[in-house]
Amino acid sequence: MFSSIDEVIDRFAKNNYIASRRIATVIYLASSLKKPVLVEGPAGVGKTDLAKVLAASLGHDLIRLQCYEGLDEGKALYEWEYAKQLLYTQILKDKISEVLTGTKSLAEAVDRIAKEDDVFFSERFVLPRPLMKAITSEEPSVLLIDEIDKADAEFEAFLLELLSDFQISVPELGTLKAKHIPLVILTSNNAREMSDALKRRCLHLYIDFPDRKQELAIIKLKVPEAAEKLSEEVVNVVQSLRKLDLKKTPGISETLDWVKALTLLNVQSLDQELVNETLDTIVKYEADVRKAQEELKDYVRRVRARRGADAAPGSSDKDLLN
Amino acid sequence: MEEKLVEFANLLRENGVRVSLAETLDAFCASELTGLGEREAFRAALRSTMIKRASELPVFEELFDVYFSGLGEIIKQASQAVQDALSMSDQEFQKFLDQIEEMLKKEGKKLSELAKQLLQNNSGAIEKKLREAARAAKLKGIERTIEENYFARALARELGLDKIEGEIKELREQLEKMDLGQAMKARMEEYLERRLKALEDIIRRYVRMEREKRDIRQREDQRMNQIAEKSFYYLSEEELRKMQEAVQKLAQRLKNAIAIRRKRAKKGRFDIKRTLRSNLEYGGVPFKLRFERRKKERPQVVILCDVSDSVRNASRFMLQFVYSLQDLYSRVRSFIFVSDIGEVTEHFRTNDIKDALDVALKGDVINVYAHSNFGYAFRSFVADHIGAINKRTTVIVLGDARNNYNLPHDWCLREIQQRAKRVIWLNPESRNTWGFGDSEMERYAIHCDMVEECRNLNQLYRVVDHLVAR
Repeated sequence: MFSSIDEVIDRFAKNNYIASRRIATVIYLASSLKKPVLVEGPAGVGKTDLAKVLAASLGHDLIRLQCYEGLDEGKALYEWEYAKQLLYTQILKDKISEVLTGTKSLAEAVDRIAKEDDVFFSERFVLPRPLMKAITSEEPSVLLIDEIDKADAEFEAFLLELLSDFQISVPELGTLKAKHIPLVILTSNNAREMSDALKRRCLHLYIDFPDRKQELAIIKLKVPEAAEKLSEEVVNVVQSLRKLDLKKTPGISETLDWVKALTLLNVQSLDQELVNETLDTIVKYEADVRKAQEELKDYVRRVRARRGADAAPGSSDKDLLN
Repeated sequence: MEEKLVEFANLLRENGVRVSLAETLDAFCASELTGLGEREAFRAALRSTMIKRASELPVFEELFDVYFSGLGEIIKQASQAVQDALSMSDQEFQKFLDQIEEMLKKEGKKLSELAKQLLQNNSGAIEKKLREAARAAKLKGIERTIEENYFARALARELGLDKIEGEIKELREQLEKMDLGQAMKARMEEYLERRLKALEDIIRRYVRMEREKRDIRQREDQRMNQIAEKSFYYLSEEELRKMQEAVQKLAQRLKNAIAIRRKRAKKGRFDIKRTLRSNLEYGGVPFKLRFERRKKERPQVVILCDVSDSVRNASRFMLQFVYSLQDLYSRVRSFIFVSDIGEVTEHFRTNDIKDALDVALKGDVINVYAHSNFGYAFRSFVADHIGAINKRTTVIVLGDARNNYNLPHDWCLREIQQRAKRVIWLNPESRNTWGFGDSEMERYAIHCDMVEECRNLNQLYRVVDHLVAR
């Protein structure tokens, strides 16, 4: 567990994650209050990464549940292993005469079989899925429930018991209580509004796109081999693209991909041609690409105007983006 | 602290944020952990426990600033202003305050508590006194701007401002008699005067802050409600923009409702064949049940939108709504008409909303400056596009049915109705005026399954609810 907010920041930094004070406070609170965190924000700002880093910095296992439409209890919580049970019934069939030898009445026979029957629905035949794993785990763990907004509303209701009491009810086995209360991180892209009941049980954290300075720091941390000048230009371009009305706004992960790609191409600084060629690493829709190109032309013009004031003769079109 | 948090939660509620009791409790636990020392941590603690929607964050930030920095900040600013006016550095000012304290020890025995604290720049004590006075003056009850003066006076009375004024005047007279340097005397005098002014200033700002707390969100809400009731005809530029947001929200709501319905209807009847096949591995014992997959219902919508001058403003929103609808359903065909009729489906699909609306309203597709002729438009539609309609199609007509006394050709609408699943007519005119003058609404209404007046957002909401309910 963390003992202070600063410790969260430090330990996250060791795991290559730059946590703002706001994020760190929420994580600290979550670990102290044993409350789940609902993380919202646009795609690609590091919501999922937050959980991974949290697990790494605490040295806990990360148990991940990816939500999708139609996810049900069987996939999330536990399932009975039918095939094994079936096998067991076969054995039972063979053994049944053996078990029943010496019984005098029907009632006695039923009693004997009932004794064996308990084994049929026991932990031996349970196939634990992520949620049950997190609850029954011997070690403390971090449970990541990713993209909860993709799951159905019914599944959300089903999560409530888990999130408030950290226990689950299996009809055949009774109620299982958590040995260690897992740290739960839920992420949502806001495809759908979560129910109030779920929200009430969680701490809420909204992560937005980072500002220029933060984004530069992130690049420095994640792609240390990138040229400084290049990263600055990339951040400038991406930040200006985020202001546009795009179908999919580029997130941090796109920025990082772009810097990595450019570094791989051994680029020291951006130029128009290069941007056009590699633009599809950050902008993912055809219509967006067109819009982005428009914006970049404007951007170049603005830079040119600024350059014009500085009067740098002989600067070619190529390094106008610098 | 508990009290302040509960009050803050109430304040949030008054401003339209839902904060439950459990959340207030959480906020309390969290704030105990972070402590009050560090403002940002405290803010994050409250934000994460009390606010659960990104859209409510701005309200929270604003209220937090007003509520928690509030008074302390005002007092600090006021004393900073005094310091600046005397043009002293921090150290000088501190030294000066020490001198004052010494002087007060000698001369200020008769001074009241508040006057002493004020002159010694003791902000904590001043804040406490102000809060007590505010409670006595029932400052929390303030609601309107015009009440500010009244409450400022009440607060001043509770603080005993007259008395302090008198005391400071006396002090200045005493100052004359003391043997201080001329420069020092002048300084002291200026300080006393500015201090008094600062206190008045603090009172005024405190009262205004309290009022602002009450109505940050209320104002917004009221505005939005007014717009929702306002007819499309009388909207200003600013309101138009707000309206666009509302239409987008409406479309989102429609989207959500449809998504939920699709999911519910996903499983169909029990499928014996597939159940047997997939349970072969268990020796034919049916462990896994299989259901038929329902065919996805793909609603088909054909929209005919009147864009003539008489419904200019209304049609703008209608088109926006149409655009959102087209985003939503894969099979929407949109037509616009005045007298001629033209299809804009492709424009709406490829352009973003602004360009699409411009294309539709600027007359690139059809002549928008003609006189409306519903009859002719319907006849051309039946002649050229009747194939667009089959028994699964919902036809939505948006228009005022003002036909300029042309032939109504209502048989065309009948033809459309016979082929379509249903015909819905949304009329931006008030129901009272239907059928008067050149309005052919009653003649057309016979051939519609549903005719609704749709002149403002609330009515549009109702129509959408109706559409979604089936």
